[in-house]
Amino acid sequence: MISPLQPSLDTTNSANKVLSLSDAVAGIPDGAVIGLGGLSMNSAPMAVVREIIRQGKKDLTMVALVAGLPIDWLAAAGSISRVVTGLVSLEGFGLAQHFRRGVEGRKIIIEEYSEHLLICRLQAQAHGLPFVPTRAGLGTDVLRLHKDTGTVREEVDPATGEHYVACTRLPIDIALVHCHEADQAGNARVNPKLIWMDNELVNAAPHTIISTEAIVETDAFRAEPWRTTYPRFMTNTVVHAPFGALPTSMFPSYSHNSTFYERYVAASGDSKSFQTFFERYVVAPASWEEFLELNDLAKAGTAMGSGHKNK
Amino acid sequence: MTASVPGYDCTIDELMVVAFSRALLPDTRAFNGAVSFIPACAFMLARATHAPNLVWSAGSIGIDAAPKAIPESTLSDGIWQGATMLANSPFDFWAHAQGARYNTFSFRGAQIDRHGNVNNTVIGEYDAPKVRLAGGGGMADLSVMIPRIMLWSTTHTPRTFVRQVDFRSGFGYGDGGNDRESRGMRGGPVVCITNLCVFGFDQNTKHMKIDSLHPGVSFEDVSTATGFELTTPSAPLPVTPRPTSTELQLLRDVIDPHGARRREFS
Repeated sequence: MISPLQPSLDTTNSANKVLSLSDAVAGIPDGAVIGLGGLSMNSAPMAVVREIIRQGKKDLTMVALVAGLPIDWLAAAGSISRVVTGLVSLEGFGLAQHFRRGVEGRKIIIEEYSEHLLICRLQAQAHGLPFVPTRAGLGTDVLRLHKDTGTVREEVDPATGEHYVACTRLPIDIALVHCHEADQAGNARVNPKLIWMDNELVNAAPHTIISTEAIVETDAFRAEPWRTTYPRFMTNTVVHAPFGALPTSMFPSYSHNSTFYERYVAASGDSKSFQTFFERYVVAPASWEEFLELNDLAKAGTAMGSGHKNK
Repeated sequence: MTASVPGYDCTIDELMVVAFSRALLPDTRAFNGAVSFIPACAFMLARATHAPNLVWSAGSIGIDAAPKAIPESTLSDGIWQGATMLANSPFDFWAHAQGARYNTFSFRGAQIDRHGNVNNTVIGEYDAPKVRLAGGGGMADLSVMIPRIMLWSTTHTPRTFVRQVDFRSGFGYGDGGNDRESRGMRGGPVVCITNLCVFGFDQNTKHMKIDSLHPGVSFEDVSTATGFELTTPSAPLPVTPRPTSTELQLLRDVIDPHGARRREFS
């Protein structure tokens, strides 16, 4: 029986969870299973991802429902050995070439699901249930990939005869999500409200690192408590990272940066010139601010609705 | 630039959008995913013409969105301008989808087979792929949940239209016949709009068949460009109808003035 007076290393109730970007990432061990927030070109915690690369983390598993640029960065840097996902691409900018080469060359193992199968697996984990049912994936080859492990399996409801897929728990160690505002204690909110699946990661992970556009007083949350996305007992570390999702978007504050995507895709064609580009423009800048400055991101990325650069 | 359609005063991207739009029923309740410029244009066009009450959730997030123009991503903020609601993905969107409150889903892929199954995962063997593609995303989910499936492809070649997909990322009619129905799934693919023709599906076999040929395209052209057998028609096939000047004007000047739809043609 646990004594109520036993000292604990648990930081969940801590009043001040603010750490520097480098200190926050230093706590992530090699080999960790990380839930990566954002969806495709939106709301990815890019400042944290870049710091993971800079600190040379290895052998990470990324759980990313629908992802792109952050996974390609991590693949290019050799930080990841496994990706649990439904889709990795750069949308209209093309395939995520380093991820693709990593999988084709068997340097990266892909554990492949679909979007809703992953949501259900995360919900089973969050709720502590053996599985969550869905009709997602019935009849597709996605289920066939998991015949041996049984992580998702087709079953028949004995009462109705209906077929469903049982999605078992998906354990993750750490969730990384980006938000607009957080206080020191780790209350956090996304403006105007959370639309992507980040909450499924936060609810499933025992440890969450929040990066935030701004740090505000707790009173800001008390004034509008209906707007809070994550309560403080669900978060463990707060990192102040303005423009921390660039070059992906952070609606409604800024759009994704097309110019960076175009430069990145152009550089991805040739592996030698890519290494030079990646080292110089992504890895080398000593701080997040320098990275933004060097790539002309904070200025170019601030305008919403700038995504109209079409053929 | 995209190819012009002989005799029609429009380009192939425009003909595809108009054909897609006209295939949308007035009770359509649709949403879109990534790289879905043709459907996004078509939903807006249908709403501006024959289906004013059509429901479209832009990027599966922005319900009844009214963007001033189609932006360069169909899954980002630009597309949900003017929405009446921003849906939260797990709680709103996935409940609306699995509950079949939406009735229409559109997707494309690197391979489409004769029964409307779609592959966007790997070319070749799964464990030793020739090409590792993006992955299916929500395709495996929504192709099962949503009854009215609309496929499209801007690359009508034997590489895209194959007898059997290498990997079933999205479920159409499975092995054909009553395969879909027997799995408890409603509906199925109703149309597949390509840069050469409009395909429908045989009611019994659930095999693709040509509903109409685009101007200047022959049955032989489609047959050569398709990796599975098509039944030789006993009578001349209809030609995909001409877009009206109103449809073209709306598409060019109002809905998609920056030509985002052409991003699907490389």
